[in-house]
Amino acid sequence: MKKRILIVAGARPNFVKIAPLMREFKKHKRHFEVLLVHTGQHYDFEMSDVFFQNLRIPNPDIYLDVDSASHAIQTAKIMIAFESTVLEQKPDLIIVVGDVNSTLACSLVASKMNIEIAHVEAGLRSFDRTMPEEVNRMVTDSLSDYLFVSERSGLKNLKSEGVNSEKVYFVGNVMIDTLSDNLEIVDQSDILNKLRLTANEYSVLTLHRPSNVDSRETLTEVFDILTSISREIKIIYPIHPRTKKMIKEHNFSGRFKKLDNLLIVDPLGYIDFAKLVKESKFVITDSGGIQEESTFLRVPCLTMRENTERPITIEKGTNYLVGRDKTKILSCVKKILNGKSKKGSIPELWDGKTAERIIKILLTKEGDLISF
Amino acid sequence: MIIMKIISVIGARPQIIKAAAVSRAIVEHNKKHHDYAINEIIVHTGQHYDRNMSQVFFEELDISEPDYNLGVGSGTHAEQTGEMLRRIEAVILKEKPECCLVYGDTNSTLAGALAAVKLHIPVAHVEAGLRSFNRKMPEEINRVVTDHISEQLFCPTQTAVNNLAREGITGGVYWVGDVMYDCILFYTKKTKPIEHEILERLDIRSKSYFLVTVHRAENTDDSTRLCNIFEALNEIATKDCPVVLPLHPRTVKYAQKHGLKFTNYIKVIQPVSYLEMVVLERNARLILTDSGGVQKEAYWLGVPCITLRDETEWIETVESGWNILTGANKHRIIDGVRHGHKQQNISPEVVYGDGNAADRICEILQQSKIVKTGGSI
Repeated sequence: MKKRILIVAGARPNFVKIAPLMREFKKHKRHFEVLLVHTGQHYDFEMSDVFFQNLRIPNPDIYLDVDSASHAIQTAKIMIAFESTVLEQKPDLIIVVGDVNSTLACSLVASKMNIEIAHVEAGLRSFDRTMPEEVNRMVTDSLSDYLFVSERSGLKNLKSEGVNSEKVYFVGNVMIDTLSDNLEIVDQSDILNKLRLTANEYSVLTLHRPSNVDSRETLTEVFDILTSISREIKIIYPIHPRTKKMIKEHNFSGRFKKLDNLLIVDPLGYIDFAKLVKESKFVITDSGGIQEESTFLRVPCLTMRENTERPITIEKGTNYLVGRDKTKILSCVKKILNGKSKKGSIPELWDGKTAERIIKILLTKEGDLISF
Repeated sequence: MIIMKIISVIGARPQIIKAAAVSRAIVEHNKKHHDYAINEIIVHTGQHYDRNMSQVFFEELDISEPDYNLGVGSGTHAEQTGEMLRRIEAVILKEKPECCLVYGDTNSTLAGALAAVKLHIPVAHVEAGLRSFNRKMPEEINRVVTDHISEQLFCPTQTAVNNLAREGITGGVYWVGDVMYDCILFYTKKTKPIEHEILERLDIRSKSYFLVTVHRAENTDDSTRLCNIFEALNEIATKDCPVVLPLHPRTVKYAQKHGLKFTNYIKVIQPVSYLEMVVLERNARLILTDSGGVQKEAYWLGVPCITLRDETEWIETVESGWNILTGANKHRIIDGVRHGHKQQNISPEVVYGDGNAADRICEILQQSKIVKTGGSI
């Protein structure tokens, strides 16, 4: 009997994570019947056809058509829509990835329906509950039957939360599967030409967290920091529409535009963005995934947050946790420009074979169901 | 004067009783402390809201009616939880409380906690840390999730504290005792005047009947389990010791559909109010139940109990010898009723506090507020 699986993705980073799983599942069609559910949590420019083609992801089998809204409303809509999907499709297992509202909502639904849950990227903790992602992570992990962990800190965190170690598997990072799969294509991107950039002579900025961009005070600090950095090196800022709106609301648009060495560009596709990061001098970010991607690409990363749920990127990788501490940031920038920043090494099991490991575990676990 | 605004989210009957204990303690607290007051907004999700039933309930328990009735009716788990999330979020945005108090383990508990935590409102969970270790129970999911996102966890027992520690939750955990025990102590006094009338109306004598409650989906929606339980009841009920069975009309119909017949010694009655229930519990010879609260009430009232489930979150009642787990096994139920109980007379205070759990909850809430505002006690 084939194992029926619903694999859930809702936001852009989710699709980056499920891409290698979908590809790997294709090799095991005898054992698994996999349907891709797109909750529609993000449905905008980022989720264009190009994005799907870029990542070679098949079109979603089921589209729940839930768009953005407040946390509660969005979670509610996803729960209600996903519950009827589960009733209709009767899966044996659902796979959720990351830490968005879709991850939480679908896990809650599945757990109430006694359907097994696999969480890919389990165990990460920032220990900051004001981050909605942290709540989503904790809840999802508390409900999951398979917890696939991307770095060793996850093992420790889950252990201290009393999660039965038999459910926990250290498999590595699926996002790195996607990146390493695509490295050749990334190298062919002509984004540097398009933006008239020279490799190693610019930095990349991504900033979108409410804690950085939602208030006048923090935007003032951020602007001040960017002004100082821009005196040293060109900054390329692919901007999220939501952030653009916040900047406009707080009357910062004009000031950002006036900064000579800051180039604001539209959001980029996966491949172009990876190329932009790969060839940059360093990255400034408050995102989760970019900390990992820059570590893999061995590009220094300044994380403008007070904490990270991905500590391996600091211990082993190229990441520095700098918050909005201007002195710290400028001293890091100087170190990088002088070629004295940490070189970093690639974390354990970030080898492009994570999806393969996950599917192998699912196959072995189903040993009694599946005749080889 | 420092005023702390909190919202209490309730939805099912047992939660109203638990919240009643806390509300009463808040009123007392505000009388005593003129500098620090707690302003409680009560939000009823409508999870179980039968207008007649609930009003009687509020009057009988002498508690104020909810400030908000969200009117979320029944539905699937996701529909119900989802609708609650939406409507609770709107109330929180409007009221801007400093704390969201949730009770027990229903969908209302889960929805209240999730809506609040995402809006950065600290969640306090009354009856935290209970575990049946059976993930097939929706209540268990609600408990686990709520505990993991709560900032203050008010535990009824030391077992609950230990359960939380095993899940790595140690900060903000308080063993305050059981608010249901507070309630039993408080309301038992009030039942004295109605006791005689109730027994007379039902034509039963004290200590000469079995009281039975069956309401959990695992029993009422499973015809095999329900048949087993009802067959056992037919077996134990006699002329001298009948079975009193307050039953939801839905369950009656379900039973009839499956060809179940009751002997003449089984008195099926309409669902009863909380005070009537306390009277029926106290006067029963023995109680058979699948409810969590009734197991404890039996224990506190010194009535032997048979639990028609395969596990219990109230393990202390079993360890003390007052409660026996039989599942829905006909022979084990009958055997348990006939010669199962070897009471050891452990005083309920040892495990469930001293009847002042709600007072402690108020004090802790107030102190956390004072700490946050930099004041001194």
